[in-house]
Amino acid sequence: MKKSLLIAALLLACQFIGWSQAKKPTIMVVPADAFCERYGYVQKVNAMGETVSSPDYSRAMKENSDIRTLVAAMADFMAKNDFPIQSLEQELKRLQTEDAEMAMMTGRSGGEVEETPLERLRRNARADIILDLDYEIHRVGPQKQVSFNLQAIDAYSSKIISGNTGVSSAANVPMTSLLEECVLSFKDNFLSGLQHYFDDLFANGREISVTFLRYDNCPFYFDDDIVIDGEDYEFGEWVEEWFQDNTVEGRFTTGASSGNRLRFTQVRIPLYAQNRKGRDVAIDADDFVKPLVRELKKKLNVTVGSSPRGLGDVWITVGDK
Amino acid sequence: MIALTLLMTFSAVSANAQNKDRRKSFKSWDNYEITTEKVGVDGTKFVKVWGFGKTVDAATMAAKENAVHACIFRGLPGSATAMSTPPICPNPNTLETHEDYFQTFFAAGGPYLAYVSMTTDGVPSGTDRRKVKGGYKVGIYVQVMYDNLKRKLEADGVARKLSSGF
Repeated sequence: MKKSLLIAALLLACQFIGWSQAKKPTIMVVPADAFCERYGYVQKVNAMGETVSSPDYSRAMKENSDIRTLVAAMADFMAKNDFPIQSLEQELKRLQTEDAEMAMMTGRSGGEVEETPLERLRRNARADIILDLDYEIHRVGPQKQVSFNLQAIDAYSSKIISGNTGVSSAANVPMTSLLEECVLSFKDNFLSGLQHYFDDLFANGREISVTFLRYDNCPFYFDDDIVIDGEDYEFGEWVEEWFQDNTVEGRFTTGASSGNRLRFTQVRIPLYAQNRKGRDVAIDADDFVKPLVRELKKKLNVTVGSSPRGLGDVWITVGDK
Repeated sequence: MIALTLLMTFSAVSANAQNKDRRKSFKSWDNYEITTEKVGVDGTKFVKVWGFGKTVDAATMAAKENAVHACIFRGLPGSATAMSTPPICPNPNTLETHEDYFQTFFAAGGPYLAYVSMTTDGVPSGTDRRKVKGGYKVGIYVQVMYDNLKRKLEADGVARKLSSGF
């Protein structure tokens, strides 16, 4: 009797875990900077007297049919693996429409939608995993050959999850055929790299970055000694202790540490946590730091805000929001 | 004289053990040759695989089995124009964990046959058909329905889906 009750309880627990699914990362194929430079899809911007070139993705997607073929082929196999990728082209179009609509939007009483410059800057095409794609066409006598380079990059840690390079066969066939051959050639290796990354995510937690920024109206610097719970702590030291207690196996790395800025990288967070109602829910970087923000507000009596920069990156501002 | 007899006996025992080892490794399922010929059409792998059997037919069937086995457990080696392919089940314990499943899957006339097809008709000939001690060793060109095989193993809970957990 006891045994069957135990099994029933275990099954129930499994079901609860099964209900909460981890937050799915978004994936987007982006032409590599080198590709944009090589084919002239760049915008020249004058930044403080210096001419800087940045990739013009919109032009690359509109004018280069080969890159569209590659993206379509990759989107196809990712969709077949229940992992549809975001379309950069559509995302850029959506942002353009959104800009136009927001400029025209007024409330019934004449009010306007507010947007800070930072919010405007952050409202751009972004994904959790970037597929950085580059290829080059070579001539082998009368035949063509394509060499390709595809890197899957974690947008928050800048770590390369999966890297694939190779060449197609040399043939006198339409470019589309050679490009499709390239995709079919690297497809399984690429998926295997991605699977390895997800396996690691489920085994060791999501890897995130947390940055603390100090506003000038914060009464202390991050390297100052402050009193928390009746004890003298350096602010950074106290935060480190919090991370030691709350990360998966206490895994994190303290990066830059100064009076105004603290950065923690390779912070391994659990994929699930309990919400206020005690239910298991999937969490991301912003959800993970919420209890820390609440604790800081309570213990230090200062304004603390958190600002998510995606699933795996969050800024915590101390002194103001 | 005694020393010579002992030396000869020792050499004979040692040679016998070596032969046994060789036979054992020859019979092992992991002991087969496979090469990727070129990038197959969407969802398939085009490979040349070798099999061993008492008759040519048995060797051909063994080669087909080997092709599917490689896709599941070993992966396919790369070539000048095709990248290597990772195994569908990279966990080395998969075979032991799902032994019953694979016994049925690879049984004579089992489900594995649905995922492999020969690209040429007829019996292998020339250098692809070799008479060896105890039977034949044949090399055949086959197309493995890699994606379909992967979906089947994912659906049966043997392989992990890319999206599982999300």
